[in-house]
Amino acid sequence: MTVGPVDRDAATAEFFDGATGGQFLLRRCPLGHFSEPPSAVCTTCGSTDLGWAAAAGGATLVSWAVVWERATGDTEPNHTVLVIGEFDEGPWWWSQLVGADPASLAVGQRLRVEFRRAAAEHEAVPVFALA
Amino acid sequence: MSGPRAWPAARRPVIAGLGMTAVGKVYGRTPADFAADAVRRAVADAGLQLADVDGLLTSSGVTGGISIDLQRDLGLTDLRMLSHLQSYGATAGTMMQVAALAVMSGTASVVACVFADSPLQPDRSAGAAYGTRRAPAGWWGLLGASGVIGANPMYALAARRHMARFGTTTEQLGHVAVAQRAWAVLNPAAQQREPITLADHQASRWIAEPLRLLDCCLVSNGGIAVIVTSAERAAGLAQPPVHVLGWAQSHPGHYLRRHPDFGLVTGAATAGPAALEMAGVALADVDVVQLYDCYTYTVLVTLEDYGFCAKGDGGPFVASGLLGPTGKLRLNTGGGQLSGYYLWGMTPVAEAIIQARGQGGERQSDQHDIVLVSGNGGVLDHHATLVLGSAAGAS
Repeated sequence: MTVGPVDRDAATAEFFDGATGGQFLLRRCPLGHFSEPPSAVCTTCGSTDLGWAAAAGGATLVSWAVVWERATGDTEPNHTVLVIGEFDEGPWWWSQLVGADPASLAVGQRLRVEFRRAAAEHEAVPVFALA
Repeated sequence: MSGPRAWPAARRPVIAGLGMTAVGKVYGRTPADFAADAVRRAVADAGLQLADVDGLLTSSGVTGGISIDLQRDLGLTDLRMLSHLQSYGATAGTMMQVAALAVMSGTASVVACVFADSPLQPDRSAGAAYGTRRAPAGWWGLLGASGVIGANPMYALAARRHMARFGTTTEQLGHVAVAQRAWAVLNPAAQQREPITLADHQASRWIAEPLRLLDCCLVSNGGIAVIVTSAERAAGLAQPPVHVLGWAQSHPGHYLRRHPDFGLVTGAATAGPAALEMAGVALADVDVVQLYDCYTYTVLVTLEDYGFCAKGDGGPFVASGLLGPTGKLRLNTGGGQLSGYYLWGMTPVAEAIIQARGQGGERQSDQHDIVLVSGNGGVLDHHATLVLGSAAGAS
């Protein structure tokens, strides 16, 4: 289970700076509402005055899916667990869940964020793990 | 009487033509070639000439390749309306709505609406056509790097949420797949015509658990075009007119944002009742239902949202024996996108027209005066509902 390569662009530069430092950055408006990182407006009040603020790192499991590669020969196909995590600040994020048995999952389980890189020259990718 | 029924015949929108190219594993043709072919077929089906077309609406699928340049490919001159539309799987429905508005307002009198795509290639799998687009940078790159690529995982996350909340099961989803395959057996244009059982569904491999291979739609090459004109104009043409009685759209706007409805309630919950109200009919008046079925789950949640059963009861509802040629609910009678063919929103629209005309052959519904059609785009992000009627349904 690995993450793929991703590079920054103008819209994601600050987010990946945070990821490099081990922080998952959310958008936050002057009233303190949090929104998902790609948001251009506050999802609560519509403010366009959005800064960045680090999530504390705790989240809960909203939903999960297990993506299976096609079996080749007699080997067990690889699978990747994908989840929606709800940060304690409110926003959702979509990524892998690493190191968990999918048969053991249930809505509401506690998650934490980790970061993985495909290679040193690519950006750090946030993934979830069971807390 | 309100809505389009009350409009004068010169302004009342009617579907007068349906054109469908060869569909499925049809190789070596571009989307633009399929699109031009479909428009020519639709015009001929209607008993019109290409020169009668004064409005053209185009849309494209995953491979793109279609634009307003189609006007030149068809040799159409002096059009009064020309545009390329995009609301993903809802586009077929939204095109019909724009065409109906054009006829109603007098903007154009004969509008061709077309979709075509050619994602299938002989040397790669069907899934590869939709699954391998990975952006290198930015937010889309980040999602791709995380493994969140394509529609399968996102719909699996939606279906799982429905299961976790309401107890919906993979066996219940299987009932949708089995019933639609039974319909496809009766449809000469369907790609998959071998009957399947619930056991076959349960034995099919996981694609994105909780969705199995037999929960996922096909991938198809081909094109479909529809001619929309006025009831007055259609009266002297070749086909039984199919009246566009009601329509509505819903674009919730929650993609990649937290929302409590994700996977549980879709835009169909607002677009459906609005379209029925415009048509002046109730759900109980609906004879035939054609739902966008990119996945079995999409059928189940749309049935709930349209009100065929209570929210959360979709699983027991589809497993109750109502579906398929032996059931009482005339749903996705051509096999749908799961077993028929996948030309996005044109799959349910085309079958709705065939049924409303009474031209469904072995699969024709006895009652076909009111037909309800859904379109669904993105990850449950865009919805278009149409209410179509036969001449009797429109009276």
